Amino acid sequence: MYVYYPPYNKMRSADVLDCHVLVIGSGGAGVRAAIEASGYGETILVSKTLTGKGGCTTMAEGGYNAVLREQDSCEIHFEDTMKGGAYLNDPELVRILVDEAPMRIRDLLQWGAVFDVTDCCEVAQRPFGGQRFPRTCYAGDRTGHEMMATLVERLAGAGVEVMNEVTALDLLKDGDRVVGAVGLDEKSELLAIRADSTVLATGGGTRIYDISTNSSSGTGDGFAIGYRAGAELIDMEMVQFHPTGAVYPYDARGRLITEAVRGEGGILKNSLGERFMSRYDPERMELSTRDVVSRAIATEILEGRCTAHGGVFLDVTHLPGQQIEEKLPVMLEQFLKFGVDIREEPMEVAPTAHHMMGGLRITPKCETTVIGLFACGEVAGGVHGANRLGGNALADTQVFGKRAGESAGKAKKKRGRIDKRALDAQETRLSAFFDGEVPPSTVARSLRTAMWEGAGIFRTARELEKTLGVITHLSSLPVKAAGRSNLAECCILQNMLTTASLVVKGALIRKESRGAHVRKDVTQTWDPQTSPYGHSYQSLTRTGIETVVKA
Amino acid sequence: MKKMNVRVQRFDPGQDEKPHFQTYLVEVNEGARVLHVLHAVHDEIDPTLSYRWCCGSGQCGSCAVRVNGEPVLACMEEARDAMTIEPLKLPVKKDLVVDLEPALDALSHIEPTGSAAMPTREEVELIKPLRSCIGCLACVSVCPAMDVTSFAGPTAMRQDFRLALDPRDTKDRVTEAVSKGLFTCTSCQACWKVCPKDIQIPGKAIEKLRSLANKKGLTLPRHQEVAKMVRETGRSVSRTEPTFMEQVGEVIEPHGPVKATVGFFVGCMYNQRLPQTALDAIEVLRRNGIRVIIPKEQVCCGSPLIRTGQLDFLDTLKRRNIDAFAFRNIDTVLTMCAGCGSTLKHDYRTPFRVMDINELLTRYGIEPPARLPLKATYHDPCHLLRGQGIRDLPRELITQVVNLVEMPSVCCGSGGGVRSGVPEEAAALAEKRREEIEKTGADIVISSCPFCEFHIMEHTDRPVKNVTTLLLEGYREKDRKKAENTV
Repeated sequence: MYVYYPPYNKMRSADVLDCHVLVIGSGGAGVRAAIEASGYGETILVSKTLTGKGGCTTMAEGGYNAVLREQDSCEIHFEDTMKGGAYLNDPELVRILVDEAPMRIRDLLQWGAVFDVTDCCEVAQRPFGGQRFPRTCYAGDRTGHEMMATLVERLAGAGVEVMNEVTALDLLKDGDRVVGAVGLDEKSELLAIRADSTVLATGGGTRIYDISTNSSSGTGDGFAIGYRAGAELIDMEMVQFHPTGAVYPYDARGRLITEAVRGEGGILKNSLGERFMSRYDPERMELSTRDVVSRAIATEILEGRCTAHGGVFLDVTHLPGQQIEEKLPVMLEQFLKFGVDIREEPMEVAPTAHHMMGGLRITPKCETTVIGLFACGEVAGGVHGANRLGGNALADTQVFGKRAGESAGKAKKKRGRIDKRALDAQETRLSAFFDGEVPPSTVARSLRTAMWEGAGIFRTARELEKTLGVITHLSSLPVKAAGRSNLAECCILQNMLTTASLVVKGALIRKESRGAHVRKDVTQTWDPQTSPYGHSYQSLTRTGIETVVKA
Repeated sequence: MKKMNVRVQRFDPGQDEKPHFQTYLVEVNEGARVLHVLHAVHDEIDPTLSYRWCCGSGQCGSCAVRVNGEPVLACMEEARDAMTIEPLKLPVKKDLVVDLEPALDALSHIEPTGSAAMPTREEVELIKPLRSCIGCLACVSVCPAMDVTSFAGPTAMRQDFRLALDPRDTKDRVTEAVSKGLFTCTSCQACWKVCPKDIQIPGKAIEKLRSLANKKGLTLPRHQEVAKMVRETGRSVSRTEPTFMEQVGEVIEPHGPVKATVGFFVGCMYNQRLPQTALDAIEVLRRNGIRVIIPKEQVCCGSPLIRTGQLDFLDTLKRRNIDAFAFRNIDTVLTMCAGCGSTLKHDYRTPFRVMDINELLTRYGIEPPARLPLKATYHDPCHLLRGQGIRDLPRELITQVVNLVEMPSVCCGSGGGVRSGVPEEAAALAEKRREEIEKTGADIVISSCPFCEFHIMEHTDRPVKNVTTLLLEGYREKDRKKAENTV
């Protein structure tokens, strides 16, 4: 075993652990990857939180898209996903998603998942936005929680070493190859893990916005960690604003109000009582795609037809009480806690930053552009294009989680060496925080406000440049750790700043409106299908946007 | 924005010998939750404060803490001025962060058949409520049984029953649950009352597992004896002296004008073991204008059978009891046993209203008793406090007679068949009660449940009395003083 002696006595000597596959992240994709990888060799799963509690899968409410009925077809699911994604999706990845989603839900069912079923013992499905068939499988409105409960049970039986409350700081490299990661354990001691393959499954990062649905772990760590390790990221400007986030009370604003509310028949109204979706998408109405519904709500609010709390109404009072209690129990319970009985009165909602469609560029085997590094789930890009369909993220976690775990597991057992200098560099980086001046929470707050104001639903080059200036300034501030327990927070803040700058730079590179990305300062003559642009891309070595040669 | 003062428990095992409290003045938004107060302390005042949180919307169970002693999810509980925030009663890692992993890791996981055959809709509907557990472990943190005996805890039982219901699981979860301490649960309901997802673990998992255990012949021998006695005598305990019902007529008229007429459901303990307490209660009722009808054909309510999962004979008992009161057109049935009251209210569908004696006396008002120069403490019966939601009413009555010193509301160990089935556990819990009673310095202990009274009597040197006996003593003192004055 490699023995490491730190340069100063400030840190205990870093432990070095060894494994075949290291999975970073404990949401749906990470746990699925770890379960799969464990079949090929010793697997360690590192979780910033407690496995099963962190990440956004456990908060996902609405459902899991899979073609299960004869009347439906993978071809239609493919078309819906491509159209919903404004044709920016990687078609090969979409094909995999729609083809394998049914198998992966069967895995979950085999492992004990308790989805809602029909009278004929078939998995029940509900309609979701932008889909021509009701193909969203669900467990009430706690579908993600049900999946995580199932996955964590399976993980317990899979022999994976789970390391909870360990914050990954950076990937370790031997030449061009990723050979593991360095992190801080729950006592804020440095920890190095050597691995033949490393899977990034760290989820998204919309906590860089003032109003977000994400859990505490949605800080974009994987984007930043991958970027620093040399991986290429695509379409980082593609941030999904979920149409329906809570607006009250102030501190709970942004909390997800599931699309299932509209799937079950909920309707949107402005303060004048108008069912305004008829002006934006008369055909699909409330079940249009999220980008369209978000812009519609944002427009109603900007033009002053909003509620006292600055939202619009989402109403289910016309639905039978029993349907609300059975299909939307979490919504009912959450709103009751905040003093609103959704059976009796409408909810107030407004858009909230939700999902990152962009991320590390992956192959169908979930290989990133760096050898030894795999990515799956929200940290990977390309599956959802410019706008994700509701219900496709949970399917994504399982389909690509399995693929990443399998590819990482099958990779050759190649003993890379951990470079002592990389650990020294981490020591130096961490030590500097003790001499810092600005609390990370202060910087994070400024960042969130700047991102919400300058890189939100509607964007212009001027605002984006200004936001980038703010990010650059904030990145230059010396961040302060008040004690060891704050070290992780300082590193996470730096990840947030990196992620935010990738989003803003991507938004500047893409001089078109497409899906969730709207540039108000660009007039364009094309629609998504005839766009001259492909993926935007950013890495340490190159930045730009693919142009498509039209036949 | 509003300002509030909060007290937060701090503890860094690396530096501190023991936990201490720190008070912070924070500014938060209208409608802020406890979590937002913690954020405010961390962001604005002291970044070294450690607390765990994740989803911020009540779905992940990371942030459970105690606010003013009660376990809550920090992200859902509205913040209040002057609140005290402490970690759950679990091993503390730092400040408000407790060790959740041992209990979560100990939960059984499904061992699937390998087929994806789906459970039926009926099975899904049964499993779903048990599945909403978010693993916050508030239940584990309040379970009294886990403190004194080997019990895997409420959520482990929930998980075992969830698996027992699932046709895809291959293991015998019932036998497993028995070996994990299924019969050590006292049915105190503390786990249910603190569950943020309102999962009724004792009633919807533990009693159900016990009834499955019964079908497998795993019911404890002492519980089987109780069931046999109920079947043979209609009573769950033997008599040690003339019973209450042998000593009274069927209708007891009050001393003065009739304020109300009620049927009296006596219960096995007051009828067979503590008849004097029931006679005391009758005296108090007569003095306060309550006409009491006592149908003599009433039998055991069935609670000892339900709690231990022996349901064969239950319907017969229910029918006999309901008929006894319905036949006499009684619209209000009075209980003074907390266990009977909770059972009639929750496990029966009665054509009459059921009222606990504390409810009845406070509803119609009582003649003021004289005060006695005693300091008393009150033991909340589980089936009254959590089973029937009655907390303040007995205190209203008690404080008319004596000064009351509070102690924490924890199970005495007599419920759920534990006193008969696992006596050493029942004794250990009662010993903890004795310690709490001694801390109060009280002269007497008051309660309102025959099981608690009987059980605690064996473990304390202080007199243990029913609320109504205390009232009667207040009346006797009043009469004595009145007699003195007239002499």
